[in-house]
Amino acid sequence: MAGAENQSGRKSGGRDADSLRQRLDALGHELAGAQARHHQAPVSAPQGQGAALGQALRLGVELVAGVAVGGFIGWAFDRWFGTAPLMMVVFLGLGAAAGIMNVMRTAKRMQADAAPFKDLPSVPDDDDD
Amino acid sequence: MTVIGAALAAEDAGHGGGLEPGGLPDPMHQFEIKRLVPFELFGLDASFTNSALFMVIAASLITLFTVYAMRSRALVPSRLQSVAEISYEFVANMVRDNVGTAGMKYFPFVFTLFMFVLTLNMLGMVPYSFTVTSHIIVTFALAAFIFLGVTAIGFWKHGAKFLRFFVPEGVPLVMLPLLVVIEVISYLTRPLSLSVRLFANMMAGHTMLKVFGAFVVALGFLGGWAPLAFMVAFTGLEILVAFLQAYVFAILTCIYLNDAIHMHH
Repeated sequence: MAGAENQSGRKSGGRDADSLRQRLDALGHELAGAQARHHQAPVSAPQGQGAALGQALRLGVELVAGVAVGGFIGWAFDRWFGTAPLMMVVFLGLGAAAGIMNVMRTAKRMQADAAPFKDLPSVPDDDDD
Repeated sequence: MTVIGAALAAEDAGHGGGLEPGGLPDPMHQFEIKRLVPFELFGLDASFTNSALFMVIAASLITLFTVYAMRSRALVPSRLQSVAEISYEFVANMVRDNVGTAGMKYFPFVFTLFMFVLTLNMLGMVPYSFTVTSHIIVTFALAAFIFLGVTAIGFWKHGAKFLRFFVPEGVPLVMLPLLVVIEVISYLTRPLSLSVRLFANMMAGHTMLKVFGAFVVALGFLGGWAPLAFMVAFTGLEILVAFLQAYVFAILTCIYLNDAIHMHH
C-alpha cells in the first residue's frame, strides 16, 4: 500500500516537475525576449526632429571647424615664417578640404547608424547579463 | 552663503540688473561670470566663480545621486536605483557598441564625462541658475583634454605606428603629402568641433529663451501669450538638446577612443 502510494506520489511529482520545467522554459523565453527588447531600447540613438537637428548642426560645425583650424594653422605659420598671406591662403584651402572630408565621414557614419535592421544581432548574444 | 549673496547683490547693482539701454533685459547677462570668492594665485585670477560653484554642485549631485541610489544594492531595484542602473547601462552600452570590450577600460572616464556634461546642461535649465557649458573655454578645456588623452592612448597603444592613422590607404604616392596634411588638419579639428558644438547649442538655446522671455514681458498681458506658448515648447526642446548634446559629447569621445585603440576611420 505504502509502496503504491509512494509510486503514484513520485509519478505525480514527475508530472509536476515536467510541467514546472515547461512553464520555466516558457517564462525563460519570455524573459529573454523582454530583456532583448529592453536592451535594444537605450542603445539606439535618440530619434525624431531634435536628433535630426543635432545631426544637421554636427555636419555644419564639422565643416566650419575644418576651415577655422586650417586658417588658424596658416596664420600661425605666417607669423613664424613671415610669409603672410601665402600660408594662410594655402591652409584655408586645405582646411576646407579637411572639413569636407570630416563631413563626408560623419555622414557615412550616420548613414551606417541609420541602416535598417542594424539593431539585430548578427550572432546570438551569449552574455548572461 | 552670505559672502555669495553679498557678491551677487553687489554685481547686480553694478550692472544695473542687466538691463539693455532700451529697458529690455540683456539676453547675454545670464552668461556673465561673477567672482564669488576673489582669489589670486601667482598673479593669475583663480577666483571661485559662479561657474566653479555650479561645477561643484554638479559633481556633488552626481556623487550623491549614485551613492544614495545604490545604497541598498537591491536585487530588485527601487526606482532611484533603476535610474542609476539605467545610466550605467546606457553609457556601458555606448562604450561597448562604439569601442568594443577593449574600450571598457575607459568606461569610468566616459561615464564621468557624460554625467558631468548632462548634469551641467540640466542644471542650466533650472531658472536663475548658470549654464557652465555655455562657455566655450569650459567645453574647449574638456575637449582639449579628451583630444590630448586620446592621442596619448593612441601613441601608447601603437607607438610610432599610430602615425599611420594619418596615411590613407590605396592612395597614389604623388597625392600622399597633400592627403596626409589634410588628414592631420582633419584630426586637429576634433577638439574645436567637439567644443563648439556643445557650447553653441547651449548658448544659442539659452539666449533664445531669454529673448522670448523678454518678448513676453514687453508684449504684456494681451500679446504675450504667443511668445509664452513658444517658450513652453522651446523649453521642452532645450531639455532634449541638453540631453542630446551630452550624449553626442560622450559618443564622440567613444568614437575618438575607438580610432585611437583600433586605428581605423
